[in-house]
Amino acid sequence: MFLFLRLEITFMVSNSNNDRRILLAHGSGGRMTQELIEEVFGTAFANPFLDRMDDAASLDLTGRIAFTIDSHVVSPIFFPGGDIGRLSLTGTVNDLAMMGARPLYISAGFIIEEGLPFQDLQTIVSSMQQAAAEADVEVVAGDTKVVERGAADGIFITTSGVGSIPAGIQISASGARPGDAVIVSGTIGDHGAAIISRRGGMDFNVELTSDCAPLGGLVADMLAASSEIHALRDPTRGGVAATLNEIAAASGVDIEIGEDLIPFQGEVRAACELLGLDPLFLANEGKLVAFVAQADAARVLDAMRRHPLGADACIVGSVAAAERDHCRVFARTVLGSRRILSMPSGEQLPRIC
Amino acid sequence: MPLSFLDDFRRGDHVRALMNRLEKSAAALERPVRIMEVCGTHTMAISRHGIRQALPPNLKLISGPGCPVCVTANSDIDTFIEMALLPGVIATTFGDMLRVPGTRMGLAEARGRGARVQIVYSTLDALRLARENPESKIIFFGIGFETTAPTIAAAIAEASSSGLDNFLVLSAHKTVPRALTALCSTPELAVDAFLCPGHVTAMIGPHAYDAVVADYGLPCVIAGFEPADILQSLIMLCGQLAVGRAEVALQYTRGVRPDGNPTAMALLHQVFSPCDAEWRGLGVIPGSGLAIRDEFAAHDAARHFQVDAGYSHEPRGCLCGAILTGLKTPGECGLFGKACTPDHPVGPCMVSSEGTCAAYYLYETNDVL
Amino acid sequence: MCLAIPAKIVSIDNQRATVEVGGLTREASVVLLPDAGLGDYVLMHAGFAISLVDEDEALETIRLFEQLAGGSFLGEGPSETGLDGLSPGGTGLDGLSPAE
Ligand code: SF4
Repeated sequence: MFLFLRLEITFMVSNSNNDRRILLAHGSGGRMTQELIEEVFGTAFANPFLDRMDDAASLDLTGRIAFTIDSHVVSPIFFPGGDIGRLSLTGTVNDLAMMGARPLYISAGFIIEEGLPFQDLQTIVSSMQQAAAEADVEVVAGDTKVVERGAADGIFITTSGVGSIPAGIQISASGARPGDAVIVSGTIGDHGAAIISRRGGMDFNVELTSDCAPLGGLVADMLAASSEIHALRDPTRGGVAATLNEIAAASGVDIEIGEDLIPFQGEVRAACELLGLDPLFLANEGKLVAFVAQADAARVLDAMRRHPLGADACIVGSVAAAERDHCRVFARTVLGSRRILSMPSGEQLPRIC
Repeated sequence: MPLSFLDDFRRGDHVRALMNRLEKSAAALERPVRIMEVCGTHTMAISRHGIRQALPPNLKLISGPGCPVCVTANSDIDTFIEMALLPGVIATTFGDMLRVPGTRMGLAEARGRGARVQIVYSTLDALRLARENPESKIIFFGIGFETTAPTIAAAIAEASSSGLDNFLVLSAHKTVPRALTALCSTPELAVDAFLCPGHVTAMIGPHAYDAVVADYGLPCVIAGFEPADILQSLIMLCGQLAVGRAEVALQYTRGVRPDGNPTAMALLHQVFSPCDAEWRGLGVIPGSGLAIRDEFAAHDAARHFQVDAGYSHEPRGCLCGAILTGLKTPGECGLFGKACTPDHPVGPCMVSSEGTCAAYYLYETNDVL
Repeated sequence: MCLAIPAKIVSIDNQRATVEVGGLTREASVVLLPDAGLGDYVLMHAGFAISLVDEDEALETIRLFEQLAGGSFLGEGPSETGLDGLSPGGTGLDGLSPAE
């Protein structure tokens, strides 16, 4: 009863401001849920699968399928270069692409905190659709729940996706081999720097922009250029440092990169210097790291550079047989000495000391 | 875009030429020498640029007590956490403090238990929070040496003059010269020379080290933080050691004035007065802390909140104390890399990314040293 | 101990300045450095300008490195560090360095 009363009041206040907000009733499964679905999701994602309003999408898929899921809880939900909608779509598309798969269909679950402005949800959903169009995928199933204020931070989005793996493609985190070249597809740390500078109230007058973008097209071009791409990964949380350590461990190899070979945006580097952060530990949302047979490296690099999302691609290091019984990642410093590049630990926080 | 006055001091050709020169300088030494880098930011730079691995074998760099997080005593951390858990309080501090474990819990855990903890980049941000949240008390955990303390003094002075009564500071600041002389008087200390902190010196001025040279005969070079700066400073130290001379010399000429920063030091002394302070690993060093003066008592969290943090003790098995004085290296700690890692730090030397143990772990080894 | 990086003052109004680092600008307080002026490089620590970067000294240091790297170094006389009395050993790089 109390709850009901509170909701009514919220609703009236909201209406009088002409500032509509998501209410618990929007997730109740009743009339308001229906309205929400039609008004927001149905319009944005309109496609034959979704329009049927069945309990599940029925899809024709043949051959080997890549299937993945990813939850997104970014704060703030809007950031320069994207928002949680774009992020949640590209995150899953990129995971599929890193298997060499062609991303096809996406499903999305929304957990919304009551009180989220209706307009915000609309913006998030339309940027999700925009990213889906860029990635050439369709959102074919969805679900929405509304939780009480405080039970979520604005909105959480979980997406899962399927993609088809072309015949003959064998790409895996365990596929890197001694002798492979390590290629990154562009400047490092852009997303993480954008988020941290926003979150920390850093007030940089130049906005750092997230690199959030779907990588399926870039991967397709790479695969067309070479059949010797052994491993791919998008260096999201934990950044390039985490990705290299994961690949080294999964493949049983050592990896060495040259610090001076890593491409950075000037502003990102400046922000990292100011805040005491290491860009190699910062998240990327539109970049990949590729492990390619040395003989094909130049060809793959060339194909990448011709794609807009790979224009700044470069070779940053190489893979070697593991020197010890556990695998390590080294960075060659300006002095020419090697230091260990370890997994980042914990949250990256601005430091002054 | 190149970063002015940063990239210039990281150039590969310069750094390699300096390393060659350092090898020659070190070859002229009659015996192996141990140089202590006092400052944690030097520790980080040395690790990050792989300097330790590249040094001539008769030159050993050991890390000193210059990480403000590492030297903060558990009792201060415990007190701040008790304050953070009070209702109506927003606890603010610099990023490095968040993961520091106290006797019973760390700040991150206090946050999990409902404390409002906000990481800020500057006291200016904490002041802004105080203005935006007049109904809350904003407590800033003041840590750091003479570089940072004036920025906290500036915030206290501003809060005082603008009547921002909900801005309070728990001062756990430390001062460097006292600690250095205390360190020098440790009988077991096996250090031949000091690499002194450029940014602290930008405030206190180069003469602050005169006593180290006069009373203990240990060479001091005030160094910048880029690889070329550090290598040049080591060359300068080798030069002094080779002829048995001990002087205060300045490598970081672009950043340090002969009289330091008198404005900043005046503000520091206007707001703070010297007090005894407990340093983790070094114990209580008389006169090495900074207490908020009576005139600014309204902004002193220690006076405003009479919290009882209970019994504080240092983590068991942790060698931070000996590591901070240069008597042990992280590899000699039985917990290093096993029970104690950056993800699960036992001692503060692992918590702060510039802590000696963290710097060794992050940049130098995944193995036992 | 203390991270501080060089930033250029691009505007200044009383105790507030806007500083620029590598194309990025943000606010800084110059309350600790009242002499700082437009166009100066300052060391920024935790949102405060704490010291002027002496550009001549910086260029002098770079010039020394340049000579060392170029091999033209040994013929040079002793160089000044800019702080007399403090540093009889000079930069440690000059031809009179005791290590020679
Ligand atoms: S490794 Fe951990 S427990 Fe050991 S001295 Fe360092 S911080 Fe303390």
